[in-house]
Amino acid sequence: MSSTDMPLALEPGEALEESPFGIRSRKLVMWLFIIADAATFGALLFGYGYLRVGSADWVRPFAFSPTIVNAIVMTVVLLTSSLTMLASVAAAQAGRRAASLKWLVLTALLGTAFAVLHLREWFNLFREGWRPGTNPMGGSVLVGGTFFSITGLHLLHVVTGVVALLVIAIFYRRGRLDAGHLETAGLYWHFVDLVWMFVFPLVYLMNVR
Amino acid sequence: MNDTPESAGVPRTRVYVVVWLGLLLIVATEVTLTYAHLSPGKLLAALLGLALLEAGLAVMYFMHLKYERRILFWSLIPGLIFVLLMLNQLWFDAIRLRTLHP
Repeated sequence: MSSTDMPLALEPGEALEESPFGIRSRKLVMWLFIIADAATFGALLFGYGYLRVGSADWVRPFAFSPTIVNAIVMTVVLLTSSLTMLASVAAAQAGRRAASLKWLVLTALLGTAFAVLHLREWFNLFREGWRPGTNPMGGSVLVGGTFFSITGLHLLHVVTGVVALLVIAIFYRRGRLDAGHLETAGLYWHFVDLVWMFVFPLVYLMNVR
Repeated sequence: MNDTPESAGVPRTRVYVVVWLGLLLIVATEVTLTYAHLSPGKLLAALLGLALLEAGLAVMYFMHLKYERRILFWSLIPGLIFVLLMLNQLWFDAIRLRTLHP
């Protein structure tokens, strides 16, 4: 069968062979990206652990208020954004396009709120004299270096995710994307949430004064 | 456009809400344990265990891995676990480094 004979409902390659995973290529690619990115964050967290265990003068900088309180609020916001993302995908799968868009935009707004809270936390630390290579409390300068590296990479993922969600919302509204695209984007968004599930206890709670 | 779900048997909204509440409960437990004056080793073990539980719930329910074909799970997760286990070789050198400091 030539490519011009292929039914229009099928995507290129789809008619040739069914995937052994039972999912579309875009979703498999997202899973592969997630696994690679999980290894990256895993390596970063192990690096942080290595430097922490190897440093005799590690300090614990975080007070309950404002740092931990802020981090708890950030955690709740991000977890809730995963729920709204699921609601968006469910609405899209049910063919309720307007409701899906509403949940998708709400997810992006929650992601933005997380980023704003995160930046507020960073600027508070900057005011206290913290920098990636400076420790105002004395002791190892690696405290700031590891904190800003890990949370910075995660923040980059959140900001990228918010931009991606908004772009997807625009194209979904125009009818150029479907529920499957939203589900794939949702995978990424849940992964960002999943990484935070390790960053919050290991980087924040383990550094409480 | 195809609006059909790509995962077979995806859970209902109620399941998502229950998992979300469970995740919030785990976060509350983590914070409570942090201020329970545990030794650093015990606190780390508890926080890691709870984080793994959270991650498992998120991957299985929010990311639908529980509802995909098993081959997807077995193709993705064991390799990642292997890589993360191999990284544990770092600790011996980290402890050695610590003993080098005065």
